[in-house]
Amino acid sequence: MLPLCRATALAAAGLLLFAGCNNNPQQKPLHEKRPDGSPWTVYYWTIPDEIRSLDPQFMYEEVSNRILEPIQDTLLEYELMETKPYRVGPCLLEKVPQPVQNSDGTVTYHCALKPGVLYHDDPCFPGGEGREVVASDVEYAFQRLSDPVVQSPFFSNLSDYVIGMQEAYDAAKKAGGKLNYDTMKVSGIEVLDAHHFDLKLSKPYPQIIYWMALHCTTPVAREGVEFYDGLPHADGPKGRIKVRDKFAFHPVGNGAFQLVEWVRGQRFRLVRNERYHTKVFPTGGWPPEREAVCRPLAGHALPLADEVQITVFREFLPQWLLMRQGYLDNFDAYKDSVNSIVTSIKALSPKWAARGMKLSTSTWVSTFYMSFNMQDPLVGGNRKLRQAISCSYDPRGFIDLLYGGAAPVAEQLLSPGIPGYDPNFKNPYGFNLEKARRLIAEAGYPDGRDPNTGRPLEITLDGVATGAEERQLMEYMQRQIEQCGVKVNVIENTFARSDEKQDQGNFQLLTGTGWGADYPDPENYFFLFYSKNFPPAGKNVSRYKNAEFDALFEKMATMENTPERMKIIKRMNDILVEDAPIVLEFNKANFMVSQPWAPRIHSNMLLDGRAIKYQPVDPVMRARLQPSWNRQPMWPIYSAVAALAAILGYGIVLNRKRNV
Amino acid sequence: MFSYLIRRLLYTPLIIFGVMLLTFVLFSVLQKPETMARTVLGKRATPKTVQDWLHTRGYDKPTFLATGPKKPGQAGEGMFDTIFFNEMRKLATFNLGVSDVTGRELKEVFQQGAIPSLLLTLPAYVAGFLMAVGFALFLVFVRKSALDTAGVFACVGLMSVPPMVYIIFGQAVIALSFNYFPAFGYEMRSWSSIRFLLLPVALMIVINLGSEVRLYRAVFLEEIGQDYVRTAQAKGVSSVRLLLVHVLKNGMIALITYVVAQLPLLILGSLLVENFFGIPGLGNLLTSAIQTNDFAVIRATTFLTAILYIIGLTITDILYAVADPRIRLS
Repeated sequence: MLPLCRATALAAAGLLLFAGCNNNPQQKPLHEKRPDGSPWTVYYWTIPDEIRSLDPQFMYEEVSNRILEPIQDTLLEYELMETKPYRVGPCLLEKVPQPVQNSDGTVTYHCALKPGVLYHDDPCFPGGEGREVVASDVEYAFQRLSDPVVQSPFFSNLSDYVIGMQEAYDAAKKAGGKLNYDTMKVSGIEVLDAHHFDLKLSKPYPQIIYWMALHCTTPVAREGVEFYDGLPHADGPKGRIKVRDKFAFHPVGNGAFQLVEWVRGQRFRLVRNERYHTKVFPTGGWPPEREAVCRPLAGHALPLADEVQITVFREFLPQWLLMRQGYLDNFDAYKDSVNSIVTSIKALSPKWAARGMKLSTSTWVSTFYMSFNMQDPLVGGNRKLRQAISCSYDPRGFIDLLYGGAAPVAEQLLSPGIPGYDPNFKNPYGFNLEKARRLIAEAGYPDGRDPNTGRPLEITLDGVATGAEERQLMEYMQRQIEQCGVKVNVIENTFARSDEKQDQGNFQLLTGTGWGADYPDPENYFFLFYSKNFPPAGKNVSRYKNAEFDALFEKMATMENTPERMKIIKRMNDILVEDAPIVLEFNKANFMVSQPWAPRIHSNMLLDGRAIKYQPVDPVMRARLQPSWNRQPMWPIYSAVAALAAILGYGIVLNRKRNV
Repeated sequence: MFSYLIRRLLYTPLIIFGVMLLTFVLFSVLQKPETMARTVLGKRATPKTVQDWLHTRGYDKPTFLATGPKKPGQAGEGMFDTIFFNEMRKLATFNLGVSDVTGRELKEVFQQGAIPSLLLTLPAYVAGFLMAVGFALFLVFVRKSALDTAGVFACVGLMSVPPMVYIIFGQAVIALSFNYFPAFGYEMRSWSSIRFLLLPVALMIVINLGSEVRLYRAVFLEEIGQDYVRTAQAKGVSSVRLLLVHVLKNGMIALITYVVAQLPLLILGSLLVENFFGIPGLGNLLTSAIQTNDFAVIRATTFLTAILYIIGLTITDILYAVADPRIRLS
């Protein structure tokens, strides 16, 4: 009987262990109640990978943005509710500065910082108390952009316009590669007083206001950069030597939240900046379907949540599990996950809708397409052939495979939300098989066959394919294009090889190309087809060259969004569509599922991390619903213990019978 | 044995050199430093920014050997001033360098990652071993019966299921439907934090259980056919005592080789389980490095793995010779 007693004891121990188990993976909030007695609100969010840097002048990727944006405000910020088209509004600046044309061709922007904006409290400041954000911090930021040590990816763009950046960079290079911040100033930034500065450009560049909404131009406290040097200092308890963080991993921000905990590779904890008053909740412009949620919040002080816990998830499955248990507040459905959450009519599955979850669909400011090599003698020199291939390709199947049918088919280069985007425009060379067959005949290849050889015309399709899914997508493209009669030879490349081919122009048709806009201006799309932007220095992968297009681009690039500019944009779009250097595919879409206690209140895809401060959370509703989604049944444990005991007992009986 | 050990030690640098050469060849085919730089610097990076990034890290030098006349603008002085030899020089002194993507000191990163990995793998290793031995002894206890056959069949079943299926089952059923454990996460603050490790440890045990039980069962079955077992039975030793004392003790010698070889590798954690459960160990670190093209991390991990593997195999050989006097290492 001894083994049975042991099994019972083990089972009892197991039961005790289970009884003590709590399946909530989130950290305990910092507080339960606010000082006024109301519940402390926590928002639970995710990022898909570890971040690379939080240095505003260096960092330029989406994942790090999610963490930096709530911590660090920018000079300007996209208006939360304005997405058709997107528009920038004030943030650290009091208003959006207007350009003043100077007689020498230069342009000046008079900028005024909001007074009383404070940095977060940090040991880098005297007494640990954050000081006010001043104009010299903006000057310092531009110096950092020009410092070769920082290796800012923004430098080459901004130095073309901001006076004195290139000179500061050259001086630093001459002085051994490091910028002297006391002597090597950027002459294009003139500090007038604590809150006013002038930004001087060598030529008109209206897009500069969008750069002011990016982190690269945000003011930075010099104390923070110099304090967090990554070197050992006597900072430890009782003067012990301790290695300080590098500035890239210890931001000294001024945003709505302060980073208070960061467990590398795992999670972040942000807490409300009590002294934040740079922005308030929008007082109008709410979309009709969200008005009920937004109206009571109008003019409310930000941030709405007291604490934000952000977890690093590299896999989709655990995210969705935690969402179902109510331990995450929203979930970006993507690829395979879409089909399990969304019905064929693009609505949330009834099971989740019954829980009060909501689905919102937004379109990223991006356009994806296949690129023809315009320098290739075959496809580059035959417009009708390109048009025919464009007509034979139906992106819908690709979108179904990749985005569960959520993404809209791209009819034009500009994506929705960009000034000049025409929602009524239909690509004349969109999917139309009849037209494709007619055009291929007009191109000199009836039924897709080369009249000289009688065999199907062969075209190569290059792409990055390192997995089964990518191969499946490329095979889909191959089948689609072959509908016009040509033979498509697929070449699967690694990322490195594909990059190399782009740089060398060594392809006929290349898939996986496209653009996610840096800022919502048509210039940021049309520059992709400007002839002075050939790779490797530029992004004109097609190597498209059209004198009229170039002239129009040069003209529109420096214009404000006037009716005349809109006319030019329309003409450029027509030229591009007619020349067909690309096969348009889709605008990337985003499905977001939100918990009933944390409704999504906007569809602004340019804000991302900055939108957290506007996020409402109802902790009372969460506390009510969460336990009902997490009941622990006991029958599986009893069944498992009974099964084990039965097997053990049977084994003993067997052994006794045989007496072995 | 001493001469064997010396020879083994002399082989070690050559093996590691070979492993690293292979890693470099594979990586240089799949991922050029320029691509890595573009990934890190983002889409706005110009060729000049990329060049600066490469230069700072010494990645603008030739990959293996600088042969032929030096081209204008080519970095590196001398035939061996190449990425491969420079990095090998650093690794030889255990200077792991910094991450290419985050710029963090890898020594610190590895030290931090080793603890969660060990917290996951060590309990799974110990408990898994005990459970496998227990199940194997039970199958021997009921040998040649339907229960034994069913047990072997179940083991083959366990071995046939891919690890991913166990992970998905564990998360979707045990963590989600039954709500017994957190489906994701890790912390080590108090005893209650152990709840984060229970499910991943249990899954790691189950993933390896089938193959281990089958192996141990075969070893114990061989032992139970020996003369000393028959003698013990004849002397009236009970079947439980026979198994737990005589068979287990003698069978353990054969198990040492299998078990000890895994010991040094425990520190590296588990790629899949750590990634799916968000445990910030070295397995998770390597997965992330592969996804983000962090060659510095991949290089250092491969180097450490090779060393640990050689240590594991050497210890096994020695223990084998110690445990079984018939084995002579020469």
